[in-house]
Amino acid sequence: MRENNVTLKIAGEAGYGIATMGAMFAKLMQRSGLYVFGESDYPSLIRGGHNTMTIRASDEKIYSLDGQIDILIALNKKSVHEHIEEMTKQGIIIYDSGKVQEAQAKISREDVKMLSVPLTKIADEAGGQDIYFSQVAMGALMALLKMKPEAFGQIIEQTFEKKGKSVIMQNKAALLAGHRYVMKNDGVECDIAIRPKKNLHTLLLGANDAACLGSVKAGVRLIAEYPMSPSSSVLHWMAANAKEHDIVVKHTEDEIAAMNYILGAGFAGVRAMTATSGGGFSLMAEALGNGGMAEIPCVVINVQRCGPSTALPTYTEQADLQFVLHASQGEFPRIVCMPGDVEEAFYETFNVWNMCELAQTPAIILLDKYVGESIETVKYFDLKGMEVKRGLLQTDEQMESVKDFLRYKVTQNGISPRCLPGQKNGIHVCSSYEHDETGFTSEDPNNRIIQIDKRARKLSAINPNLYQPAFYGNSKSTILAVSWGSTKGPVLEALKKLKRENIEVRFMHIKYASPFATDTIRQALQSASKAIIFEGNSEGQMRNLIREKTGIMIENLYCRYDGRPFVPDEIVAKIKEVMEKE
Amino acid sequence: MASINDLAEPEHTITWCPGCGNYAILAALKKAIIDCGLEPHQTVVSSGVGCCSKLPHFIKTYGYEGLHGREVAAASGTKLANHELEVIALGGDGDGLGIGVGHFVHACRRNYDMTYIVHDNHIYGLTTGQTSPTSEQGFKSKSTPDGALEIPINPISLAIDSGATFVARGFSGELVHLSKLIAAGIKHKGFAFIDVMQPCVVWNKINTFEYYKQKCYKLDEDKKYDSTNKMMALAKAQEWETKIPIGVIYQQDRPTYEDGLPMLGKGPLSKLPIDNVDMSGLLKEYE
Repeated sequence: MRENNVTLKIAGEAGYGIATMGAMFAKLMQRSGLYVFGESDYPSLIRGGHNTMTIRASDEKIYSLDGQIDILIALNKKSVHEHIEEMTKQGIIIYDSGKVQEAQAKISREDVKMLSVPLTKIADEAGGQDIYFSQVAMGALMALLKMKPEAFGQIIEQTFEKKGKSVIMQNKAALLAGHRYVMKNDGVECDIAIRPKKNLHTLLLGANDAACLGSVKAGVRLIAEYPMSPSSSVLHWMAANAKEHDIVVKHTEDEIAAMNYILGAGFAGVRAMTATSGGGFSLMAEALGNGGMAEIPCVVINVQRCGPSTALPTYTEQADLQFVLHASQGEFPRIVCMPGDVEEAFYETFNVWNMCELAQTPAIILLDKYVGESIETVKYFDLKGMEVKRGLLQTDEQMESVKDFLRYKVTQNGISPRCLPGQKNGIHVCSSYEHDETGFTSEDPNNRIIQIDKRARKLSAINPNLYQPAFYGNSKSTILAVSWGSTKGPVLEALKKLKRENIEVRFMHIKYASPFATDTIRQALQSASKAIIFEGNSEGQMRNLIREKTGIMIENLYCRYDGRPFVPDEIVAKIKEVMEKE
Repeated sequence: MASINDLAEPEHTITWCPGCGNYAILAALKKAIIDCGLEPHQTVVSSGVGCCSKLPHFIKTYGYEGLHGREVAAASGTKLANHELEVIALGGDGDGLGIGVGHFVHACRRNYDMTYIVHDNHIYGLTTGQTSPTSEQGFKSKSTPDGALEIPINPISLAIDSGATFVARGFSGELVHLSKLIAAGIKHKGFAFIDVMQPCVVWNKINTFEYYKQKCYKLDEDKKYDSTNKMMALAKAQEWETKIPIGVIYQQDRPTYEDGLPMLGKGPLSKLPIDNVDMSGLLKEYE
């Protein structure tokens, strides 16, 4: 009997409530003291199509899915066959015998078990409506995993709290009926059991939510956003929490407006942000440069999806790195942070707010569909020492005695005192034109050089400890794996597998593309005998950046650009391949 | 109380062409700011890019000189961030009614408590004379040597239909009248739009000072005109060919966008403390 280690996939059409069921099961696993990772896969439509949610739970920390499924809840005929190759040996497929005839459920693998449950019929008979068939399936699942259905009942109560008692009752009735059915009609043995443990003090969430939380902790006051998958959950999350936390959330007419709103708001002294995906970010490019020129701190979250143009709107990619590094005409400093998981999305987003206000320049947080929408359990956030720092923002008292205030004063580290409209003695124009120290337009050639150099120096004021890459694995190994952003999880998972085979690898996860930890990254590469970089794009954009900054070309590049996240096994295989190379 | 002299920026040489209508708009704006009793440091003049958009450098208030056509969007952000500031956006017919017309329409709907002045000279000036969204059909310029094929935008009816609660037309040749219009716009609680007829002495040989001098008449002299009557206002907005009404064309009381935001109740967002935000409530749902 395998204990406390299971991967469940729920598959069916959009509109079946698959994401809700998946989230509820993930919650149950979290409450059972397990670590959880969950990932959804869906096409760009509202009803129909083929949607899945996959939840992996384990009593050891997990960083990604593993490419395999132990139990599949197949809510339609297509789902029975679509995932057959992902099933583990002795895996179980639960299907609705009311919808899928036995002949249609004939599968190509003999080592996979079929469990037919008349889901919709049981849901009907349980006094509810057939829409509760998914709860019948969850009841069946509880029976297979030898769990008490009551535990799931609590999750139902919390999930549907706002929908009222009768909805909760009907969901529960369906759950219990599904459980009873499998207990009575045993025929399929499941060799996996979940034995609830002490609840770890964890949080279960995705990186989009974590970036929102990091921003609230940093004191964000205004969000201007235009909806775009897979970033829209930021808009929804902020709108839901706006009143409680004194945040103005504006769904603007377009992304151009959104970016200009946050510039106007940043100028007036609030921490203001927007979120979008690549298409919207393209529209923001001009205003991003305005922020750079006028020295306005602000944060743009780009939750990447496949590009160019509309491409695969609901699938993941890491192909905007070079774009966000260079977006907008001319040259100006910017902060580009690529959180690799939920914890980094929270802590680094908070850090980025301090950094961009210190350097008085725009910051971009690059997430992607995979890390943004996948959920994982993380340690309860440690909020100690998270201190808001506002750089050279002047207080009213400081401004009281000021004479001849120079908003763009040339200083050693390029950072000038910043005052806000409403404050006395600080009147200036915050300008998109090149300007002199006062803010007045200047086309003087010497001033031009002075101001470009001044702005360029600002990133040097940021403490380098804040943007160093993270290292994992064996620091003494001369085999170096490199990645950035959301590829972190699958690489960490691959490291676990390699370790089981006594293969030690060092892993460098790059969190910031600007400022860039050039020395550290160069040293790590120089001390490796073999290096391989994993990226979710076709060109090797980080590999190119590393070469540009360090002069070192990482010999081995493994790219994935089919819209799907990396799978640990392919990383294991590639690392082994590199090790065997002469 | 500030005086006109407090608004002067003597060290900033004005770079407009001699005879440009922008001089009169600047003078009218300064007078309106003083007449309304505004403090310079609590006033933000927010512009885009174009001839008129250089104006923030020529008046001693806080200024925001952003991107072509984006003045209303940026000014909206400023207003939401600190609604105690007096925010006056200004743009041209090229940036405000061309590339930025979307922001204009939506700002009207929202009824932010701000003032928006369009310096409407029916031509692109700073890019050396091309047909603009308000140029008349048949207008010949470098971009339309055979004459513009499309009809012009009517900024007045567009603003009324889009929900602006104060819609006026001024003329740079009527400085005192214009100044009063701007002052009324500033005092108005809601989105005040003022379309200012302004001759471009270099590029526009049609809509000249004389052209307006002959056609403009003051609406407030018409005692029968009711600017709170929307249908009457929309009809008045159509007048152009033979005579052009200047004055307040439409005015309405409607709650502002800011009125609907409970999060502004504790004072301007920019003044709320942001240290030590309590996260326990937010984290609960993830436990």
